[in-house]
Amino acid sequence: MIGTIHNRDKFLNQIASRLNRPRISAPIERPEWKFQPQYDVYKDATQDELLEILTEHCKKIHTKILTTDLQGLAAVVHDVVADYGGGPVVTWKDERFAQWGLDSLIKQQWPSENIDVFEWDYTLGDENIHKAEKANVGITISEITLAESGTVVLFSDKDKGRTVSFLPATSIMLIPKSTLVPRMTQAAVKMREIYQKTGHVASCINFITGPSNSADIELNLVVGVHGPIKATYIVINDL
Amino acid sequence: MSMKIGTEQFKERVDSGIHDDFMRGAVAGAQDGMSLKRKAVTTDEMSNWEDWRNHGEEIRQHVLEYLDYYLEQLSENVAKRGGHVFFAQTKEEANEYIRSVVQKKNAKKIVKSKSMVTEEISLNAMLQEEGCEVVETDLGEYILQLDDHDPPSHIVVPALHKNKEQIREVFEKKLAYTKTSKPEELAYQARVTLREKFLEADLGITGCNFAVAETGSFSLVTNEGNADLVTALPKTQITVMGMERIVPTFEEMEILVSLLTRNAVGQKLTSYITVLTGPREELDVDGPEEFHLVIVDNGRSTILGGEFQSVLQCIRCGACINVCPVYRHIGGHSYGSIYPGPIGAVLTPLLGGYDEYKELPYASTLCGACTEVCPVKIPLHNLLHKHREVIVEKEGKAPVSEKLLMKAFGLGAASPTLYKIGSKIAPAALNPFTSGDKISKGPGPLKAWTDIRDFPAPNKERFRDWFKHREKGDKRP
Amino acid sequence: MKVTLFATCIVDMFQGNVGKATVELLERLGCEVEFPESQVCCGQPSYNSGYVKESKEAMKRMIETFRDAEYVVSPSGSCAFMFHEYPHIFAGDPVWEPKAKALAAKTYELTQFIVEVLKVEDVGARFEGNVTYHTSCHMTRLLGVKEPPMILLKNVKGLKFTELPGKEQCCGFGGTFSVKMSQISEQMVDEKVHHVEETGAQYLVGADAACLMNIGGRMERLGKPVKVLHIAEILNSR
Repeated sequence: MIGTIHNRDKFLNQIASRLNRPRISAPIERPEWKFQPQYDVYKDATQDELLEILTEHCKKIHTKILTTDLQGLAAVVHDVVADYGGGPVVTWKDERFAQWGLDSLIKQQWPSENIDVFEWDYTLGDENIHKAEKANVGITISEITLAESGTVVLFSDKDKGRTVSFLPATSIMLIPKSTLVPRMTQAAVKMREIYQKTGHVASCINFITGPSNSADIELNLVVGVHGPIKATYIVINDL
Repeated sequence: MSMKIGTEQFKERVDSGIHDDFMRGAVAGAQDGMSLKRKAVTTDEMSNWEDWRNHGEEIRQHVLEYLDYYLEQLSENVAKRGGHVFFAQTKEEANEYIRSVVQKKNAKKIVKSKSMVTEEISLNAMLQEEGCEVVETDLGEYILQLDDHDPPSHIVVPALHKNKEQIREVFEKKLAYTKTSKPEELAYQARVTLREKFLEADLGITGCNFAVAETGSFSLVTNEGNADLVTALPKTQITVMGMERIVPTFEEMEILVSLLTRNAVGQKLTSYITVLTGPREELDVDGPEEFHLVIVDNGRSTILGGEFQSVLQCIRCGACINVCPVYRHIGGHSYGSIYPGPIGAVLTPLLGGYDEYKELPYASTLCGACTEVCPVKIPLHNLLHKHREVIVEKEGKAPVSEKLLMKAFGLGAASPTLYKIGSKIAPAALNPFTSGDKISKGPGPLKAWTDIRDFPAPNKERFRDWFKHREKGDKRP
Repeated sequence: MKVTLFATCIVDMFQGNVGKATVELLERLGCEVEFPESQVCCGQPSYNSGYVKESKEAMKRMIETFRDAEYVVSPSGSCAFMFHEYPHIFAGDPVWEPKAKALAAKTYELTQFIVEVLKVEDVGARFEGNVTYHTSCHMTRLLGVKEPPMILLKNVKGLKFTELPGKEQCCGFGGTFSVKMSQISEQMVDEKVHHVEETGAQYLVGADAACLMNIGGRMERLGKPVKVLHIAEILNSR
């Protein structure tokens, strides 16, 4: 579907006239910027160093961080959920959960422990949102992880509902170690590359740094206002 | 609410500000705390911080220079993704368009995430006229809204002037709240009440931190996550942006987001930075089915191409407010505008006119603290000075007595002879007011000075006389 | 080295001691000091109030006065900065812009001149007392002179230095701001006085006579025992 555009010419002509020149519609080249400080940040850091930086920064953002290899992943996820008080759990529909050996946890262990698990299913429509709203834990996967700020980046699609990371009371983000980059710069470059290659951008790309918080009351930090109250990052050593 | 807040004159507003002890304590504490946090993630952490500012500045300058091109590109790309774009030259046009969407969708329940431009165009008033329930979901704005629309006093922390006890009282009165004034408990109450509002809303309205021309995307920056719920749950979404809030690509967006979060709240990034493109995709379950982008001029284009253009570089981080020594003592409401502090004193007269706001450019010592911290290098104190020049020389709005005084001063200062005579007779002229080596009750313009402080009596022997005698070889102490 | 003194009107009329100390200090450091009689005010008070046209005559007068000087030195960061503003004020004026640039290029604030041009960090001064220092906004932020006064004070024998809390905060002078917005100015200077008291210093020192006149005048009115001195007076004591 193509959207509509109203009132554009008058508006843009006014801008051009204030700028004292004819209107510019022909593509202009992206300038060569004189300053590029962003590439210097953690320029030559290894994945291990980036992990250290991430771990350190998690202290400042009220976020628990755990690291594990693939063998230990299911047990770690199980324990964190138990720690958060159990289910209901809601997850994206994502093949990687199975690849990482989480199938038996999700499909057998939790049900046997009476922990309700719901996997996002777009064919069920709004039911997904009700499930997410009632969930105690939401589990998502970071596509790009920013060491400097302790940020996970989530791309939405039909199987990866946005609300899985907002509505549940607590949040678990799985972070493949290979997704670690120095900072937001590398994420922005990658987002552009994806767009230039595919002509498409996910309708919602979320940079999430720890649980939700607010300092609106006397500048006292309160963790957990509208989004999750607690957050845990689980870094998976996939390298 | 429009840009203007309150009905009092500047002097009265300043007077109530200065006598509001809680507000002043809160503002001073906030400024001191915020300055430390800001320094920690800017100049302390990054030895090349000046390069970051330079980069921010070059991006913003470039965008303003090619604003028509980038807005055209943005609108094309939004439409390609199925979004609708409305260009509104005036606030009336913006409100009319939004009204038509509300009516078409028969929307009754609206949730909003914080947006200065919607305040500027008085959007909420129009929506209430339409019989809609409008809920502000940023915690600070929600508190103000509950308190019978108390105006914001800061662009980042709108309820900075309120203490938790006042907030508890508001919650008690409006939400039948029974718990204590602990911020955690107050925030939890807001979470519970607002969660319901999010789930039942049929329309979500947001502002826009930075639109991205290349992809037709836009970003929202929050700590609470309220913007995410506003854009994920209602079926229809309207985003309102000031026309200058745009960047070429994700790569420039990234820089400005980094500058914004570090300067606004002293964080490397805030908890939520959400980049949205168009309405939901075909099989998506959450996100809006329909998306409208309203791009607002409302006086901005008249600033383009003139000597105040650089004010449009602003990314609304509030760093200038957090260091301003004048804001520190008078608070946000004294400015009579939703945009307070140095940025407000520059921007408000441009958007709202000198008749209403001619005092604001003088509410500054030109100390330059604002200019020093601005992450996109707006020469704020120079622009304040520029306003004074315009008020005096083009608008002719300066008081007559001041004009005469300045004229006399200009003559005296420019003429060595007049200056010499004036400075020579000063001690005698001021003699009746002098006791010992000071003046405690000065005449004329000196009175405003001596109401507060002593003024030194002019030396009987001017420095120049001493120097002359000394050159001649006179032995004098 | 020949130095042309730009004394400023405040020093000329109200703070003769500062002028004298500046002359003696510079002479002691081996400079030959001259004081052109035709100097007036730099035009800052009216300029900052928005009266640009009215101020330009005074500025032109100053440019002419100091035309032949080798170095122009002023015991006021704010007034020295004003000379550095002249090129912007006369930008595009074919006659006055180049002259303004020439003046700006050779104008220094006193401590800046001593450290950066004379390359002296210890002027051999001795001063017994507990001192705090007010960093004036125009001198630090606009003229960009931050270190020189600190370097020179550090090397004064006998001097005990206590840093002023909230030193980056303006004292509330701001030229005509102090009378036009006197109510706000009062709050600002009161906070400054409060900080000065917190240091327990006997002396408040600064490099800008106008700020000192503001803070000093308020302290005097409130009966505070702190004495106000210009940095030239400290550096000139032995």
